[in-house]
Amino acid sequence: MTPAQAVLSARGVARRFGAQIALAPTDLDVGDAETVALVGPNGAGKSTLLAILAGALEPSEGLVERREGTRVGWVPQRPAHYARLTARENLELFARLEGEPRPADAAARLLASFELPADGPASGSLSVGNRQRLNLAIALLGDPRVLLLDEPTASLDPGQRRRLWERVEALRELGGSVVFATQNVDELERHADRVVALRDGTLVFDGSVADYEREPAVDLFA
Amino acid sequence: MNALLLLRKDLRVLRRSPFLLLVLLAYPLVIAGLVGLVAGYANSKPRVALVDEDHLPSVLVVGGHRFRVDRTIDRVSHDVKLVRLSPEEAARQLRTGKVVATVTVPRGFAADLRAMIRSPRLVLQTTQGGISPRVTQQVQALVYSLNRELQTAYIESNLRYVQLILHGGDGSFLGRNFRILGLDGTEQVLRQLPRGRQLDEIRRFVGDARLALAQTNGALRATANPIELVQAPDRGRTWALSAQVQAYALALTISFLTLVLAAGALAAERDENVIGCLARGLVGLGELISAKVMLAAVVALFVGFAVAVAFGLIIQVGDVTGGEPWSRLPLLCAGLLLAGASLGGLGTLLGSLAREARTASLVSLLVALPIVFLGLVPREIVPAAGYLSDALPFAHAVRFFGAALYDASPWRTVAREAAWLAALAAIFAGATRAGARRLLA
Repeated sequence: MTPAQAVLSARGVARRFGAQIALAPTDLDVGDAETVALVGPNGAGKSTLLAILAGALEPSEGLVERREGTRVGWVPQRPAHYARLTARENLELFARLEGEPRPADAAARLLASFELPADGPASGSLSVGNRQRLNLAIALLGDPRVLLLDEPTASLDPGQRRRLWERVEALRELGGSVVFATQNVDELERHADRVVALRDGTLVFDGSVADYEREPAVDLFA
Repeated sequence: MNALLLLRKDLRVLRRSPFLLLVLLAYPLVIAGLVGLVAGYANSKPRVALVDEDHLPSVLVVGGHRFRVDRTIDRVSHDVKLVRLSPEEAARQLRTGKVVATVTVPRGFAADLRAMIRSPRLVLQTTQGGISPRVTQQVQALVYSLNRELQTAYIESNLRYVQLILHGGDGSFLGRNFRILGLDGTEQVLRQLPRGRQLDEIRRFVGDARLALAQTNGALRATANPIELVQAPDRGRTWALSAQVQAYALALTISFLTLVLAAGALAAERDENVIGCLARGLVGLGELISAKVMLAAVVALFVGFAVAVAFGLIIQVGDVTGGEPWSRLPLLCAGLLLAGASLGGLGTLLGSLAREARTASLVSLLVALPIVFLGLVPREIVPAAGYLSDALPFAHAVRFFGAALYDASPWRTVAREAAWLAALAAIFAGATRAGARRLLA
């Protein structure tokens, strides 16, 4: 894939926190309707790379390019919403911030789609599964073309995981691209077209799932 | 626009936290009360040592007046608490700060007092700096009161001599008894002498002297008190409802409230993991900081307005002298907004430095106290505190509120303090923006 074909590209992006290198200069291109799995042990730099791709974290060097008009949704590992607002209030607020023309309608649609309690308790009191679903629903506001998920299923039970992946697949079927960080080999094999492996902040593999499984030197889960 | 959305969200969150709101409101009011008590304590009598090296008798006769020394001292020591100590103990307590000053009665004091030839001296020693200027004033007031007691005796004693000169009779001076003829007797003797140019001149002089000395009573009292202070009946309002207390209470309440709110609200965006989502193009960091500054300003406006109205109602119901200047409330509201924004700017700076909401709230509480106390220290006593306080919003808020409510021509003060508050708001918010990337890390 050439950079011109990519919907989202990272060019030599790196991030340092003081003297600590969280991510060494890294290149990554994400194509249309592609699902990329980011793998690596804890502290490998997966979350940092995703946050940089989302625009939530400025790289210390390098740059991120998006195809014109591309919207990016981001599901951070830890839910990102206001604990004292209800699910509906969170969705309406973020819909307004995203510039949705009808924020109340967008919120109602996502509430129904994700089976979230509309005017129930504050989102901080929701179950872990519901909080993660709300997290994903917020990321889908504004109809993003690219969805970035940071270990989205880490705290979900099998049923919740299945439903989450159904929604991600639905986005992909509409031509959307997905980049997800995972430590789950099963998810890698089921949902990824391509694997990008990181170790100690350095990209050590970028290829197909089959190639990744054939390459014992970079099999981080071995 | 997005900053307004966040402001609306913050106000909604605040409304849903009634306990937090109650504590945030009650805490500064309790602190205001405590500061009032401390201010009252500051007005209490400082302890001053009295060292009697002259061994004053219990009764001292001056100009024919009998003074009971202890009672006289009790009567005139309105502003200080005098404690009799030995010279060594007084010196020790002055060193340790247990007394703030020593007043020494040197040897020969009573003799000088009785003789009325030269002024007897008291020696004052104070601690350095701090409240020593105030103590000096209070001891000066004590000596002034003593002098007033003594001057009556001195005047009457002097007048007795004048009466002797006028009318003649027996008297004593420096222990020596004498009898004098007096001007009356002189006049009688002159009448029995034959007339002559020289004797007529003496007669005229005696007549003039008698007329002049007849005015001595009033003249002596007037020279002893060139200006007399007469205290009129109480007309001002009580201290608790004074303009100064109202301005301090308003500034103190909003200082605590806005610092904690702005710091906590900014750090909470990070705690809730939302700041990254916002920063990816939804809400700029500058807008986010503006939202928190606006939150502080809006809360300061509502709470400050409520406190001012409560004060006003108490004043109106109690029919307190001067009444509440209701027409000045719009000007006060402008000050509340500016002060809230300025304190909010400082709060966001603390929030961005602390990064976590709990730490930010604690740090802002810790910072609020010295800011408030710095603003309460009189510039005349510790000039450095005044300069430091100028770099913080509290003292400017106090001056703005005081002028807005009670100055006859407030505009000059209001304009100057408004400029200070706006500049400080911009500086603090700018500093927060410069370091806001910390929140994303």
